Amino acid sequence: MVSTDQKTDVKEKEADCPVVVAVTSHAVFESGAEDPDGLYVGGIAFPLLQALQKVNERLLKENPAESLLFDVILITTESQQQQESSRITESIRHHGLKVSRFCFSNEEDFMENLLNNNVHLFLTTNRNEALQGSQKGVLSVLLDEHTASCPTEQLRVLFCGDAVVQSEAGPALASKQAAQSFSAQIGKMRGRFGPFDSPISIALVTSRGGRESCGDALRTLRSLGVNADEAYCLAGVPRGPIKRLLRPHFLLSECFSSN
Amino acid sequence: MSLNNGQSLNVGGQDFTKNGGSSSRAPWEDARTVLRPSTPTRKPKSPKPENAITIAVSSRVLFNMEKEQQIYEQQGMEEYIKYQVEHETEPFSPGPAFSFVKALEAVNAKLRELYPESEELFDVVLMTNNHANVGLRLINTINHHREFQGHLGDMSFYLFSSAVLIFKDNLCQICEPGIAAAIMFTPEKMKEVSDTQLRVAFDGDAVLFSDESERICKAHGLDKFFEHEKAHENKPLDHGPLKGFLEVLGKLQKKFYGKGQRMDCPIRTYLVTARSAASSGTRALKTLRSWGLEIDEALFLAGAPKGPMLEKIRPHIFFDDQMFHVEGAAEMGTVACHVPYGIAQRVVKKGTKDKETPNASK
Repeated sequence: MVSTDQKTDVKEKEADCPVVVAVTSHAVFESGAEDPDGLYVGGIAFPLLQALQKVNERLLKENPAESLLFDVILITTESQQQQESSRITESIRHHGLKVSRFCFSNEEDFMENLLNNNVHLFLTTNRNEALQGSQKGVLSVLLDEHTASCPTEQLRVLFCGDAVVQSEAGPALASKQAAQSFSAQIGKMRGRFGPFDSPISIALVTSRGGRESCGDALRTLRSLGVNADEAYCLAGVPRGPIKRLLRPHFLLSECFSSN
Repeated sequence: MSLNNGQSLNVGGQDFTKNGGSSSRAPWEDARTVLRPSTPTRKPKSPKPENAITIAVSSRVLFNMEKEQQIYEQQGMEEYIKYQVEHETEPFSPGPAFSFVKALEAVNAKLRELYPESEELFDVVLMTNNHANVGLRLINTINHHREFQGHLGDMSFYLFSSAVLIFKDNLCQICEPGIAAAIMFTPEKMKEVSDTQLRVAFDGDAVLFSDESERICKAHGLDKFFEHEKAHENKPLDHGPLKGFLEVLGKLQKKFYGKGQRMDCPIRTYLVTARSAASSGTRALKTLRSWGLEIDEALFLAGAPKGPMLEKIRPHIFFDDQMFHVEGAAEMGTVACHVPYGIAQRVVKKGTKDKETPNASK
């Protein structure tokens, strides 16, 4: 395994550790595509990374000494990409993305990499990888083409409050604890901003139950330190239209699962 | 986010959007569909939206949030949210739409008795651009009223959304074709209304009917108006934004008649118009007939103020396109809604957005 540190100035305070987000190169770049300069073309996770970056910028604007920031790591298991590591780093730089670390690993090791790097959130477009991540207790989110169409100016997180209904994108096995601690971090970040003009927006959807279900979910989130901006109690209505309206970058449901 | 929907109209100090029901098709363009497959609870099922008559109410018409509104206006959003959260377990008291919603549920109960399999029921949806943090207080309030008053339980959809982003979309979409919308005002002192019979009163021009005749009146005066109406007596007027709602009420009424409940039908409709019985009223009645719609009582006031008449009728809700009448009604204790449609709006004070003119409903 080879890892290259692009930046070593990510602060780690006792109180507020950065939120480490690992994303696979498959998610960041469109596979097989190249722009006229021979660099990789932005893929599905692109808007999401830009949104994460926006959040960081705003956090630092509020407090230049802020340590609760997103720390993005790029992980790739593709040996070809690893051989062309400069192409990756160039592409990243060209697209204006800020990645603090690159982890080149092979398929066997990459799970360990996640754990060693204390990853709070793992983003991938590969279902197997997501599954593996979950099984290891890392909050793993499977990105799909919807993510690609999400806004870049604001990070939008959607909590799905019904334990029964798992987020379609994510595997069902992600550990509750990982989800809860990530949620708490997001909640904290959200708290750095006021009600308006926030670079993060948190929404809650409960699908099946009535208002009790919604009320419980709101309370659960609150107990994690998460104050939702919006809440939708659908009571059986299909989630599709709401999701299309909200355009969340990703969905989290594991906080509410009963096991 | 703004609690104020941008239309500062000040009778009773309240101003938000309350949607009258549309026809039996789901009225929402995209996100706010209300669909409920059967839920295995003891509560009565909520109907699927394609079968139901969906009525969306804003939290501030359903409940009295005057105090909180003041806090928002004077101290800002954060204080407002803080206050709401601190008082989370204190239920709100009823707002102007409360008795209307109760009456809807009473009608539902009777419909269920007579037609247990039917999904053609009112489906009340709470929509509010309140912050999600206020959601818990709203939920607690609904629970409270359910326990103590036995009603108001069956709302099937709650939407707490603070983002200006979302709400702006809502507002535009609410006023898209197909959705009847109106702004409800709180009377100073609400008169008591029936518990057993839902009463809905409509103005004629620019509410049930299009504003075509009003245009003539405004452009050419009353005489021209009478002439025109007489000449076109047999030509039905075009429909207005609330026609669909009347239609749907009529449909439900027929269901009651079908079970022998014509005399004390739980729904009663009224036309309260400035037209006069002697002349221009004929065209109104003929138009309704041509649409196959019945109205229980038609009151032709020939220009007299509507307030006193409404006070006698005691409708749960009254729709009019002219603020003059809305205010007049509210002064005398009727819950009146302003339908922001038609030529009358051009003459109104600044601040009214043009895009909030609802097109004719289905």
